[in-house]
Amino acid sequence: MKLIGKLEYYLFALISITLLNTFLGENFQSTAVVSVLVALTVMYKGFVVIDHFMELKGAHRYLRLMMKTYFFIFPSLIILTVFY
Amino acid sequence: MNTKQADEPLGIFFASWAVKKAGRVPGNIPIWVGILSELTEFGIFFTAYFIAKFYYPEVFATGPQSLNTTIGVMNTIVLLSSSYFMAKAMASIRVDNLKKCERFLWLAFICGCTYLCLKTWEFHWNDLQGYSTSTNEFFTVYYYMTFNHFLHVGWAACAILWVIFRLRKGAYSAKENSGLEALAVYWHMIDLMWILIFPLLYVLR
Repeated sequence: MKLIGKLEYYLFALISITLLNTFLGENFQSTAVVSVLVALTVMYKGFVVIDHFMELKGAHRYLRLMMKTYFFIFPSLIILTVFY
Repeated sequence: MNTKQADEPLGIFFASWAVKKAGRVPGNIPIWVGILSELTEFGIFFTAYFIAKFYYPEVFATGPQSLNTTIGVMNTIVLLSSSYFMAKAMASIRVDNLKKCERFLWLAFICGCTYLCLKTWEFHWNDLQGYSTSTNEFFTVYYYMTFNHFLHVGWAACAILWVIFRLRKGAYSAKENSGLEALAVYWHMIDLMWILIFPLLYVLR
């Protein structure tokens, strides 16, 4: 039951972050702050799906590392676009 | 290829990568080869996006404003929910609750179909606004990325139907469910790609 509760909590968090990001994008021009916030929240969303939905937490450590590295690199590139 | 063959070590990696040392591989090794290929493919798309945005910043600043953000948000929520249902299906099979597992797989399938319908409608809506692949660099990247993702959701939804068929035939149980888990990790990978696509195309200006 505890695991089920966690999954629902994470789903709620992921949907809330999606709505927050959309609100930021719609109401503010893409300032550096918005870009950094969006990048960090996308990174968090990716990590949540990798660890708790994909269940890589506690699974093969290199597969988890590979997935997390992927979700570190591409959101980081969003931050890089601030300097364009 | 049966599950036993799929789980056998290939003997081409470092010893530290072995399941005994690094931990178990969710699903099976072939599905992870597929996932790695998909990650590479989408990685190239994302790199193309950042390069194009560097050369055409104005086009990429105005591009997202032309898209139907509501459909983008709805699709994100639908795909996140589908991942949740897939995780619940895995939790159900681990306690041998086949009926519940099937119910969650159908819910994930319905979410996949909803995504496909919404995306088709979005493409049609774009067409009505006069946007196409050749409108500008933003739309070229947009169609390249989203249509490719659309195809992935399409064939993964078909795979859900196949897994439901196999589940009904008694192929999966609490002890043996690697085929179902392989589909689950692939489905989550597709969801992960959308998590990256959504802010790049709909949110960031």
